[in-house]
Amino acid sequence: MTIRFSPKGILTHGTMILLSLTAVVPICWMVVTSLRPATGIFEATLWPSEVTFDNYVYVFDAIPMLRMLWNTFVMASATAIAQVLTGLTAAYALTRWRFRGGKAVQALIALSWLVPFQVTMIPNYVLSTKLGLLNTITGLVLPNAAAAFAVLLLVNAMRSFPRQVIEAARMDDAGHWRILWQIIVPNLRAPLASLGVLAFISAWNEYFWPLLLIRRMDDAVVQIGLQMFMSQEGNQWGPLMAAATLASLPVLAIYLVLHRQIIESFMKSGIK
Amino acid sequence: MLRRTLMSTGAAALVFAGLGLPSSAQMAEEITEPVTVTFYSYNLATAGQRNDATMEMLNKFMEDNPLITVEPIGAPSNEILSRVQADIVAGQQPDVAQLVFRDLIYAAHDLGAEALEDLAKDELAQHSEGMVENGLELGRVDGKTYGLAYTFSTPVMFINKDIFREAGLDPQTPPRTWEEVKAAGIAIQKNTNYHGFFPGAFGPIDGTFVYQSIVMSNGGRVREGNKLTFADDGAADAVAMLRDLRDSGAYADIDVAAHMDTFSAGKLGMFLFTSAVQNSFSNAAEGNFEMDVVAMPSFGDKPTAPTNSGSALYVLSKDPVQQRAAWELMKFLTSKYAYTQITSKIGYLPLRLDIVNDPKYLKDWVEANPLIRPNLEQLERLTANVAFAGPNYRQVENMMKDAATAAVLGDDDPYEVLSAAQDEAQKLMPSDD
Repeated sequence: MTIRFSPKGILTHGTMILLSLTAVVPICWMVVTSLRPATGIFEATLWPSEVTFDNYVYVFDAIPMLRMLWNTFVMASATAIAQVLTGLTAAYALTRWRFRGGKAVQALIALSWLVPFQVTMIPNYVLSTKLGLLNTITGLVLPNAAAAFAVLLLVNAMRSFPRQVIEAARMDDAGHWRILWQIIVPNLRAPLASLGVLAFISAWNEYFWPLLLIRRMDDAVVQIGLQMFMSQEGNQWGPLMAAATLASLPVLAIYLVLHRQIIESFMKSGIK
Repeated sequence: MLRRTLMSTGAAALVFAGLGLPSSAQMAEEITEPVTVTFYSYNLATAGQRNDATMEMLNKFMEDNPLITVEPIGAPSNEILSRVQADIVAGQQPDVAQLVFRDLIYAAHDLGAEALEDLAKDELAQHSEGMVENGLELGRVDGKTYGLAYTFSTPVMFINKDIFREAGLDPQTPPRTWEEVKAAGIAIQKNTNYHGFFPGAFGPIDGTFVYQSIVMSNGGRVREGNKLTFADDGAADAVAMLRDLRDSGAYADIDVAAHMDTFSAGKLGMFLFTSAVQNSFSNAAEGNFEMDVVAMPSFGDKPTAPTNSGSALYVLSKDPVQQRAAWELMKFLTSKYAYTQITSKIGYLPLRLDIVNDPKYLKDWVEANPLIRPNLEQLERLTANVAFAGPNYRQVENMMKDAATAAVLGDDDPYEVLSAAQDEAQKLMPSDD
């Protein structure tokens, strides 16, 4: 077999290789730095002169890392599930039911997307305190249980769903609940999966809300743990990179499991 | 940065909206029933020695005071004020808080910190015996003590002796004046592949105390009352001196956000910054380069006026019993035992100098760690860091810092840059009426 090189192909592949390296090199550097000894942390070599797992040992010793990872996993999973469920039911109502003010409701939801969470954070904190939700996963999840992005994404997905299929189900006496769960959801697996992953990653990376709501280290999430290796008096680069590597693994695992659905979803929305 | 500003603004707006602070009551004479107090500390928000040493002190305090339970609450130093504000708004009144010195006037006037003369009366004088008078001055506003210096230090100059040798300089006679710093910086720049001098005064890492130390060592002040003076003679001349260092090549052309890493990597000859990083630099230098620590440089024969980085403790409790517990905690955290822990394990200065030569406390440690000496000697000339007043105090400080950065690192005339910024910032200062 002969491989033919055309200038256009070389340019395209060259660009893709460059973009891939831009994405991969920081991750490799993070892992490599996490394996460097304290005395060699500023080495500029591609591989440490001496490989050590001391930074990982230090991380588990200095902060309750496993506990933090578990808290973050529970919080991010609950947030993602809540956003998918609230988004799904809201999108169904907005696309299938005609009611007065329906468009205004949708516009309001879209507008709420423009309000950053930081603006409502202090009122949310006051409310959470009064509800006794300090130091709880429920308190972390509740303000993010519904998201405008989730509703709008699923509204778009449902609008492109063939109306005839739903009409046929209606003629078979299927109720709204059955139509939603037995007909629409199985066919929207790709956008639901991509929404779930995006919501999970967003919740996983949340920093300020947990910083405000959580007081005890054992109840904290992993982003707070990462911050603990950074201070005005200097960063502990080795442990920070080790903790960041550990914090990346669950997100990477979830992406690997669901990557087919995510790519399919993005490709479909691109074709539209 | 935007997030942080939004967080601070939101919390501050609610505090100012009049959700308000209840008036103080008379502190209880003693504690007769179990009580819990909260302790907000940024050392608790770090992993490693700072956190461990703080928790060790809190555990000892609870052991010595079985009726008092301390609930530790950690938040990073640049977010701890927002955290305290948010908790006041939410009705979770903080009891003791460790806040940085720039928040001093705000804590006294707007956050409801207790004046210790009013709270503890004679007990304050009793507790202050043996403390460095200059150090006590750090936490005073309008003649009253609101904060007790807790973890604080002064700017010292870290020297990479290997770079000095390579540049043909004698590391045993490090620069003592700015003229000598300039000469050494130029020699390093010309004769080696390393950088000369850098002051940790600018960039995203808080270095205002370094800038203020340089300014005050030249007889300048950044404000007099509510009038800003950072563009006036002594202050502006000090900044112009730094600009001259930069124009001469003595000033390191490095990323201002990575000055500590540049020194730790062994690529910077002289670095003026807080002694609080000494432990971390010693670890980085081990096996890589030889490090020395000397006093901050002076303007000719003028004595230096090193000011302080770090933090003070404030009592914020409103309940009389909580106030007693908070005061007991504050006394414990500024005791001989606590300063011994703070100096030997965290790296800050002791406010009680009598423990330095006391074998029960710091004597052995100081003998084993002579690099702390220049910092201890600077305590004699310790000059209080100048905080700004009014609700826009952080904005004013940032404008001053940005102007000084532009004056040193930019191309425009430094005097004009400072003057223009001072005129703008003055509009945000409270009026004298």
